[in-house]
Amino acid sequence: MTPRANGIWVIILSFLVAYLLEIVPFPEWAMHYRPAWVAMVLIYWVMAIPYRVGIATAWFAGAFLDILEGSLLGMNALTFALLAYITLSLHQRLRMFSALQQSGMILALVGLSMMLSYWIKIGLEESSEGSLLFLLGALSSAFIWPWLFVMLRHLRRGFDVH
Amino acid sequence: MFADRRYDYLDRFRFTVAYLSTPIYWVADIPTRVSLWIDDVFVSQRDLIEENAQLRQELLFAQRELQLLAGLASENSRLRDLQAASQTVQGRAVTAEIINVSNDPGARRVLINRGAHNGVFEGQAVLDAHGLMGQVVEVLPFTSWVLLITDSRHGTPVQVNRNGERAIARGSRSDVAGLELEFVPDTADIVVGDLLVSSGLGQRFPKDYPVAEVTSVVHDPGQAFAVIRARPLAQMDRTRHVMLVIPDDEVISSVPVPDDFLGAGPGELPVTEEVSEPTVSTNSGNDIEAERDTVPDDNALLVRDADEQETDMPTAGQQSADTEAAVTDSVNTEGTETAVESAEADETVMPEEDGPGPGEDLP
Repeated sequence: MTPRANGIWVIILSFLVAYLLEIVPFPEWAMHYRPAWVAMVLIYWVMAIPYRVGIATAWFAGAFLDILEGSLLGMNALTFALLAYITLSLHQRLRMFSALQQSGMILALVGLSMMLSYWIKIGLEESSEGSLLFLLGALSSAFIWPWLFVMLRHLRRGFDVH
Repeated sequence: MFADRRYDYLDRFRFTVAYLSTPIYWVADIPTRVSLWIDDVFVSQRDLIEENAQLRQELLFAQRELQLLAGLASENSRLRDLQAASQTVQGRAVTAEIINVSNDPGARRVLINRGAHNGVFEGQAVLDAHGLMGQVVEVLPFTSWVLLITDSRHGTPVQVNRNGERAIARGSRSDVAGLELEFVPDTADIVVGDLLVSSGLGQRFPKDYPVAEVTSVVHDPGQAFAVIRARPLAQMDRTRHVMLVIPDDEVISSVPVPDDFLGAGPGELPVTEEVSEPTVSTNSGNDIEAERDTVPDDNALLVRDADEQETDMPTAGQQSADTEAAVTDSVNTEGTETAVESAEADETVMPEEDGPGPGEDLP
């Protein structure tokens, strides 16, 4: 039914670059503006090739991010799986959206995932309650999305990833 | 998630997968290293000469202080011999570099480039050139996470260098990195500018390392305790080079003084992290009791850790205490009296010690 896999390495490479960007040190003042790179790359692939990248991939991508960040194992895995689920159910609509509408969706999705991990951290006393400034990261993610989208689409078509 | 929080078996998995994540950190660190390299290579001769002169001068000062220190150290050890007190934890140190900072705004953690393969262990104290920085909380193969003392979940047992007043310095909960002294009564003699050094009571950190400088003391009549803020001396967000302390084994084994805790009765572990709080008893009022209940919850993490680490030594002390109690079973009251006497005899070491601390409220 599904076509033979092609160019899986492009997906893996894009994730690796996203992980890199996720942990590159930021100056103190820009701390809150760090975009959710891995989440965005994940949303793109789920949207573009939902039969290849799904909830399971999202789970493992999140678990690896947990290990990378030293956060609670499974926290990002859970939020990413949720992201993948929502994107899966919306992907046909998302493809039709204009860049601005897509950015709005990214704002909502990334904001949701950030809120969720914040709640988990508060609930398990992994982190103290602070300001909600971290949601600025969702804003910067939405800002970056159009460029990321064009770039990843270019990659996908160029390497015929499916 | 819950499994990771409760049980240890996922740590092994984490540890294994961390072999994969290390290269990513290595790559992410490249820009910093390149910029440092550029700084090193493209530096004018004049700058080097200036720096050299400055370093020479600093060395001179340091050596002078070292000479003084030698005299003080010998005097100190003689005095300690007189008191038959235990030696402090000094230990050696190895250097490490900070290669990453946690991107979670709610937590203050850094990643260092030394891991299990370099002999790093959990709970190891981390210093920089200016003061205490934090402790290792997670050891990975080639890297480890360090929880800074400014994290709101971290409590550091400190004492005022001037008069030995003890307190717990906790990371501030606001966005600005800093420390807050918890549960210090209004009558405590702490003023702005006081140097706080580690008291070594948690047996995590070596004794007498500078930790912070008091920046503000507010006596609010509406609150039971003084609000004291301090600025950490370690350059948390600027330094790249840190030191890991390797404690001397024989020194650590001789640290606990079980005689002090005889009065606390059997079945109770000495909670050294909380020792600073007997000051509670000097304060009057019932509302403080309520405050007291909330204390262990907040510090539960660290206190629990400390307990786990210390269980070996104090239980040994307690066993001896128990046997003593068994011998003098017929004259039980006398036994406790002698215990109290011995505690009084040691008053010079721990002046404000009162037996059962708030440790009994621990969950």
